[in-house]
Amino acid sequence: MKAHTITWVVLGWAFAGLILADTKGKASDTDTQNANNTKQGQRSTASAAMPSPRAAAAPELSSDVIFRAMKDELDRSRSLKIMSLDIPYFIEYGLDDAQGISASAMLGGLLSLNQNRFRSPRVRVRVGDYDFDNTNYIFSDYYSGSRFDPDQFPLDDNYAVLRHGLWLATDRAYKTAAEAIGRKRSALKNVTQSEVLPDFWKAQPVQKILPASRVPLDANKWAAQAKDLSTAFANFPEILTSLVSMDAVQSTHYAYNSEGTAVRYPDDLYYMQARGSGQAPDGMTVRDAIVVQALDLAKLPNSAELKKSVLQVAQNVKALTAAPAGEAYAGPVLFEGSAAAQLFAELLSTNLILPRKAISEPGRPTQFMGSELEGRIGSRILPEFIDVLDDPTQTTWNNETLFGTYAVDDEGVIPQPVSLVEKGKLTNFLLTRQPVKGFNASNGHARMPGTAGARTASISNLFVRASETSSPADLKKRLIDICKQRNKTYAIIVRKMDYPSSASVDEIRRMVSGVGQGGATRPVSMPLLVYRVYPDGREELVRGLRFRGLSVRSLKDIIAASGESYAFHYMNNLAPFALIGAGGYVAPASVIAPSILFDDLELEKPQEDMPKLPLVPPPPLAASR
Amino acid sequence: MSLHFVVIGLLSASVCLAQTSPLLDILQQELKRNYTELQKKADPSPYFLAYSVVEEQSEVITGTLGALQTRNKGHRRYLDLTVRVGAPALDNYHMVRGERPQFTNATLLPLEDNPDAIKRRLWAETDRTFRLASQRFSNLKTSTQMNVANEDKSDDFSQEQPSTFVESPRKIPFNGEEWTPKVRKWSAELNKYRGILSSTVTVVMQNETKYLVNSEGTRLQHGRGFARIIISARGKAIDGMDLAATDSFEAETPGGLPKDAEVLAAVNRVGADLRALLDAPVVDAFIGPAILSGRASGVFFHEIFGHRVEGHRQKDETEGQTFTKSVNTNVLPDFLSVVFDPTKKSIGGVDLNGTYEYDDEGVKARRVAVVEKGVLKTFLLSRSPIQAFPHSNGHGRKQPGAEVVSRQSNLMVESSKTVSDAQLRQMLISEIKRQGKPYGFLFRDITGGFTTTGRRGLQAFKVIPLVVYRVYADGRPDELVRGVDIVGTPLASFSRILATSDKPQVFNGYCGAESGSVPVSAVSPAILVSELEITKKETSKDQPPILSPPQLTGGVQ
Repeated sequence: MKAHTITWVVLGWAFAGLILADTKGKASDTDTQNANNTKQGQRSTASAAMPSPRAAAAPELSSDVIFRAMKDELDRSRSLKIMSLDIPYFIEYGLDDAQGISASAMLGGLLSLNQNRFRSPRVRVRVGDYDFDNTNYIFSDYYSGSRFDPDQFPLDDNYAVLRHGLWLATDRAYKTAAEAIGRKRSALKNVTQSEVLPDFWKAQPVQKILPASRVPLDANKWAAQAKDLSTAFANFPEILTSLVSMDAVQSTHYAYNSEGTAVRYPDDLYYMQARGSGQAPDGMTVRDAIVVQALDLAKLPNSAELKKSVLQVAQNVKALTAAPAGEAYAGPVLFEGSAAAQLFAELLSTNLILPRKAISEPGRPTQFMGSELEGRIGSRILPEFIDVLDDPTQTTWNNETLFGTYAVDDEGVIPQPVSLVEKGKLTNFLLTRQPVKGFNASNGHARMPGTAGARTASISNLFVRASETSSPADLKKRLIDICKQRNKTYAIIVRKMDYPSSASVDEIRRMVSGVGQGGATRPVSMPLLVYRVYPDGREELVRGLRFRGLSVRSLKDIIAASGESYAFHYMNNLAPFALIGAGGYVAPASVIAPSILFDDLELEKPQEDMPKLPLVPPPPLAASR
Repeated sequence: MSLHFVVIGLLSASVCLAQTSPLLDILQQELKRNYTELQKKADPSPYFLAYSVVEEQSEVITGTLGALQTRNKGHRRYLDLTVRVGAPALDNYHMVRGERPQFTNATLLPLEDNPDAIKRRLWAETDRTFRLASQRFSNLKTSTQMNVANEDKSDDFSQEQPSTFVESPRKIPFNGEEWTPKVRKWSAELNKYRGILSSTVTVVMQNETKYLVNSEGTRLQHGRGFARIIISARGKAIDGMDLAATDSFEAETPGGLPKDAEVLAAVNRVGADLRALLDAPVVDAFIGPAILSGRASGVFFHEIFGHRVEGHRQKDETEGQTFTKSVNTNVLPDFLSVVFDPTKKSIGGVDLNGTYEYDDEGVKARRVAVVEKGVLKTFLLSRSPIQAFPHSNGHGRKQPGAEVVSRQSNLMVESSKTVSDAQLRQMLISEIKRQGKPYGFLFRDITGGFTTTGRRGLQAFKVIPLVVYRVYADGRPDELVRGVDIVGTPLASFSRILATSDKPQVFNGYCGAESGSVPVSAVSPAILVSELEITKKETSKDQPPILSPPQLTGGVQ
């Protein structure tokens, strides 16, 4: 999990044949690796609470200075104790060794070029035991003392300085944990939990140490590419704002924990973002955006292909500025091509995970957005002809590289394929090591940071499969037939959703607090490319519509799916609508899904004031003069 | 109103004249186009439009304990706009009940002089800013009629002569490869001092170029560089008190920074200071005489005096307005004068951080004698006039993204009652004895502080002393103490200055206030104060680390 100033990336990578010693089944072996403890007298207690597993030690654990520092300081930290307070039962060190290049440009002018090289540590300590510890409490992460550990570790492979940083970070994490478990116990004297769950699932240790190599990158060439791509907008005077950015994050992720898990894997991400916006004659702002991403530089599309993607954004914005404004609509809607995969990504990524509400203090209101599918195991959430599988172990589909593949998750758990929906019925969730109601074990989907000591699960490669299918032509015909039956002048086809969203923060705020989305359901992102289809088959692009009442519950009302499937790759993150560029952390994901037809959905015109057109006309572009 | 110093320096730029400036031309063309169109079409229309661009190039290298910690480069061009709608007497910047409007927001501009991209940004930002300006102006017209008039009836914007000056400042060459081994070597020295928990040595190289055009005909391009070395160490005493020691060097160019041996000595002094502080006794509350070193006194004046003579505070009715009605009266002892001089480049070989040629409204920098022989003469002024002071004196300053207010530049305390350092110390001891106290205080280093000038808040100030000694009247050696806070009320403090030394010292830093962080300096001789109030600072209670450090690589001390 990694990032630089812009973005943290979570990803795993299966390098064929590089998986090292599997230590499953050896967790109960104890060993006195903590014989190096410098504080005598506390050792017996510490090792009783937290046995040092005997791992079939990979040679990298002693040859890689980062692992060596982690191992030595972790062993010493087993003896942490303040007077009579709880002692650690689990210590985890993570480190992202990263370098990034980020370039942004508009109309051929370079706006910024940033190069970063950094090592971000992350140290976690749990006190108590697996059943009851310092986590899952609203103040689990709160520390009242001073911080001395650096937020960036040295770039040099300096063992002593790495140890120094880990020492201070572990000290702070331990004090935080000891303080939290005390406060949690006090809180529990005054609140009753609806259900008592263990706090942490005990995982088998994993050693997966992949080579850490790095493709050299030329920052100036990277910037030149961003500049060149940004000129694609120069022939479109109706585009008022445009931006192209190119980001490269090359990272090596390290994790080492007291259960004996040692993980190192490359964690790279390369992506191009392009966005443009214009203003329709009535003042409405229209926009389009695209993100093209790859885990491997060699797999990033070449300049010509990227340019084509950027041009497509420009053409879409141009078409939208000239398109008529849409009108309120209720009726059949066809999600064609990757628009259906985008919709599944949005509706399922937030609802196939089960967040757990942290223990609060009496009378303190906490914001909590759970899954809308909680408690619905065994219930039908999709039509009977649809199955859903999440499979981080698949690497390709239809000769396309999948984006959500990883070898080990953020909690050191080997991921498993998870069948989530069978014959329309919900069968499972994406799980982490945080036990949740009905599920105590992880299925290796911890991919993003969470709160109160937990991680957040994410989809990886999500396959939506239909067993009864129609050809694309039949789907469109069926759409038009319904339209005719109901005496409607037109039906609706959606070809692109604004997901992940390219909206401004203001727009996001309006949408989150927005009207027209009843109940506790999350609002759904705007559709970007919406077409009216008339009974004669003619299509017309319209702008400025959004869905009303579309939620994960609507998926039951899918009436048909295409035989052909489409892949949609994106960077999932923790922001609403997976807002592009938001938040530090991302989990790359792919969704493979057919086109889908809904019997009845509603679209509405947002009741928002539109800005007036600028008084001063835009400056002429040299390219269009 | 809060103010923080980070230690830095500046350099007066050596310059070569620029033949042409494509960016200025692009700015000027688009400014003219937008201004003309808006004058024709907008109602209310703008009477003033300015485009300001700040280009910053920097490289920062940080080391800790002998290892390279971070190395970052940055290059940015920030655009800020000023649109004034209405008329100078009342425009969209008019302040109502302390509400300070914000219109600009530091948009990024392309780094190269690409007319298409730059003009699009200028146009879009002009539209956005104009809308905000015109909306606030309309609201103001209502509220100024509904509310009673301000006591200060001066205009919202002053008339000034346009400035024209174009030069390409000579840029500091960046050579990270040269500095990285030095940073490793210097920072490794701090391994020698037990008890230091975190420490860094940072080298910063920065070039800044400012561009400004406005509808009055101002056309400016100027700038300068900064080269600095910052040393910092932090630790925690056994009782939980957090302690820090710092030092810094500033120069115009990297070549002006001190030689290796001098930096090594400074790093070791920081380490030794912190080590000594960790073992030092905690101070008790005390009222009595003290000497503030020149650097400490500079910070003291910056806080308790400088912030209170910033012009905009005299007009803001939510402000305390300590000196608003004090012009031509005695505000300091008559042997003291206070001058703000942004045109002064260095003192005693030390470059001043608050030096500039034009302020951020394009007004030529000038020397301003705020206090002459104890008598308040004027305030620090931007183009926001105040009663009896209708013009700017070149102190309108800001960081990118903020709106201008009046700010300090190079504060200089000048004294006509000077004695040698040794005599000043003798005077301190006499004063201790006269007051019947066992000891007084010597403040060697102060890192900054903050002051509250608001009407509602306590009119107090606080500085953060780093290195403070008890000076005993009976001839015992000076004793380092920790946990010292100076507190008190400003007006009272001024009357208690008894004498000063004859050697000015320079404190270079950054000052943070309403218009962001701006480089400043404070120059003062050491001062003897008959009465200073000291308290024990509030401190965290968390313990030092439970386990001992993993390795002691040095082992000295």
